[in-house]
Amino acid sequence: MTPLIEVKKLNVTFQGEEGPIYAVQDVSFDLAPGETLALLGESGCGKSVTMKSLMRLHPEHKTQISGQIQVAGQDLLSMKSSALSKLRGKTISMVFQEPMLAFDPVFTIGDQIIEAVRRHEGCSQADARQRALEMLERVRIPSAAKRLKAYPHEMSGGMRQRAMIALALACRPQILLADEPTTALDATVQIQVLLLLKELQRELGMSMIFVTHDVGVAIEVADRTAVMYAGRIIEQGPVQEVLSHPQHPYTQGLLAATVHPGMDRHQPLPAIPGSPPQLLRRMEDCAFAPRCPHAQEACSLPLPAVDHQAARWSRCIAHTSA
Amino acid sequence: MTSVLRVQDLKKYFPLGKDLFGRPTQVVHAVESVSFDVKKGRTLGIVGESGCGKSTTARLLMHLIEPDEGRILIHGKEYGQIGGRHPLSELRKQMQMVFQDSYASLNPRLTIEDSIAFGPRIHGVKEVQARQMARDLLERVGLNPGVFIRRYPHELSGGQRQRVNIARALAIQPEIVILDEAVSALDKSVQAQVLNLLADLKKELGLTYLFISHDLNVVQYISDDVMVMYLGQVVESGPVEQLYRQSAHPYTRALLNSVPAQTPGTRKDYIVLEGDPPNPIAPPSGCRFHPRCEFARAICSEKTPDTVRVEGEHRAACFRLPQSAGHQHYIALQEVQDDTTH
Ligand SMILES: Nc1ncnc2c1ncn2[C@@H]1O[C@H](COP(=O)(O)OP(=O)(O)OP(=O)(O)O)[C@@H](O)[C@H]1O
Ligand SMILES: Nc1ncnc2c1ncn2[C@@H]1O[C@H](COP(=O)(O)OP(=O)(O)OP(=O)(O)O)[C@@H](O)[C@H]1O
Ligand SMILES: [Mg+2]
Ligand SMILES: [Mg+2]
Repeated sequence: MTPLIEVKKLNVTFQGEEGPIYAVQDVSFDLAPGETLALLGESGCGKSVTMKSLMRLHPEHKTQISGQIQVAGQDLLSMKSSALSKLRGKTISMVFQEPMLAFDPVFTIGDQIIEAVRRHEGCSQADARQRALEMLERVRIPSAAKRLKAYPHEMSGGMRQRAMIALALACRPQILLADEPTTALDATVQIQVLLLLKELQRELGMSMIFVTHDVGVAIEVADRTAVMYAGRIIEQGPVQEVLSHPQHPYTQGLLAATVHPGMDRHQPLPAIPGSPPQLLRRMEDCAFAPRCPHAQEACSLPLPAVDHQAARWSRCIAHTSA
Repeated sequence: MTSVLRVQDLKKYFPLGKDLFGRPTQVVHAVESVSFDVKKGRTLGIVGESGCGKSTTARLLMHLIEPDEGRILIHGKEYGQIGGRHPLSELRKQMQMVFQDSYASLNPRLTIEDSIAFGPRIHGVKEVQARQMARDLLERVGLNPGVFIRRYPHELSGGQRQRVNIARALAIQPEIVILDEAVSALDKSVQAQVLNLLADLKKELGLTYLFISHDLNVVQYISDDVMVMYLGQVVESGPVEQLYRQSAHPYTRALLNSVPAQTPGTRKDYIVLEGDPPNPIAPPSGCRFHPRCEFARAICSEKTPDTVRVEGEHRAACFRLPQSAGHQHYIALQEVQDDTTH
């Protein structure tokens, strides 16, 4: 099957006050139709930056992007802005980590969803309104009809997040990029929203990339997972396998630090010691080595290339050199 | 032990929509008769359905909005702009809040260092010292000060911004800190690091926390006491172990049951809460949870259950509890119902 998204050697570099910031380095992955990929990883490792690149949302003058991104057979990085705005929202759409960035504070939630539907589907105001209402109901916003008239600041954090999911889904996209879409939801609503996404996925054959810090959520929705650290994907494979037998020491540390029910409340949590590297240079060697309990001398050498097409791989010499 | 914070019958309604004359056409019952006590050095976890009034309660405590009714006492004192009350500037020194929306709560035109140093400077700390505090705090929340002090909020990731907000709240060295979804955007290792920091500060300085979160595992780990809210009201509260082990309210049970399993290979069979999501504009009569409750009987839609003691400090509001005044009535109705179904 030809992939719906194909990313090859994506690099995203920001122009910072004190020189370049290498936020994403040599990221490559595919996404098949109907597939869900969960993106896990350290805070600040480049998950949101990667997702925004897939919609070309970075300000052009301050950002340098190289590599290849194919979305539904089109070359995203060379696309004209008219083609790009047709693609956004219709073929590929995004649920942002910050709901306040998705909504304009001076328009009601309803107006903004209706506008998006009309722009992409050219339907009547009444039909668009109907669609907006239906979407708000499906994401289980209470008294949806009245909430169409609410402004973003009049909603709770979780309602805003659901309204944003409704906005992203309103034009029935082929690909949904969801950046921590359920962090502001309580467990009962979260599971309903996850089940809804899976249902829509079956209905529309939609593919998803799901950024989450919740291993439970990744298990629930994803087929595959990619774990990022310091701008790179460091481990990739079927979600069950990666999470039950993590290969990379970072993934192992991450899973060990997770708070589990019934933990001893009087013991400190086993956080990974140290902090992630500054992204002020490109790193060909292992960025995790300074914090790694298994680090050897060889870890400071450039890592051998990995086969990104392989079903399962990790960027650690214990697994690449074998 | 003395209460640092005492909240009595807090109520807040929001107008929604306006008619031709600018009068509100509808009212959101955001917070309804909320009362609780927090003892010094304890952590109160607040959980509940999205939209049930957690952030509104927090904003009321901070006096960012004023309640329609009710009292908020800190060490027995009331704060506010009303005559005779203690000034809000004094309140801010004692109580700080980390907001749910990390983006909206940082000034986009201030660098990270200026944002964190701002509070201490307002409260009379010297410029140089305030900057040093900012650096130390960044270090403690796991952000390298050398890299981050001169950045602006939009140049940070979600989790980095959230940690800047935590550093900012702690900079004033308050006694009470309200954390509204303050660790939800962090990966589990950084989250562990921040939770350890909060625990250390609590021990060192005797801080008191109000910890609002949807992550029930984290709430269980960090809290001493937990309060469960549903549609603007407190339905259950008590010491964390008791409440998690023997939850008394059907909503609490449904909530605890909906947490995704953390172990691979175990997609759970969830008991998905049936029924319409609750409507804060026209809340159900009686017990607000009754339309979605599998145990609901006639009395549940007629009368509001009072909050009763389950055991020790563990309290809940449900007619099923033998301690509840309406319990006899509830049982009687159940027998009638059982007879008719047989
Ligand atoms: N506009 C920008 N200018 C400079 N640096 C940036 C900019 N946007 C992001 N960064 C940096 O790039 C890195 C990657 O950021 P990104 O938002 O992708 O992180 P993330 O993986 O989504 O983290 P989180 O889980 O905390 O949201 C971070 O270290 C961040 O500080
Ligand atoms: N300024 C406002 N105007 C109108 N309604 C409001 C306003 N602020 C909050 N509300 C409403 O009050 C109710 C409670 O909101 P609140 O933000 O306290 O919920 P929450 O428990 O924090 O939810 P979440 O977990 O989703 O953050 C919601 O129905 C919300 O829409
Ligand atoms: Mg992010
Ligand atoms: Mg909230």
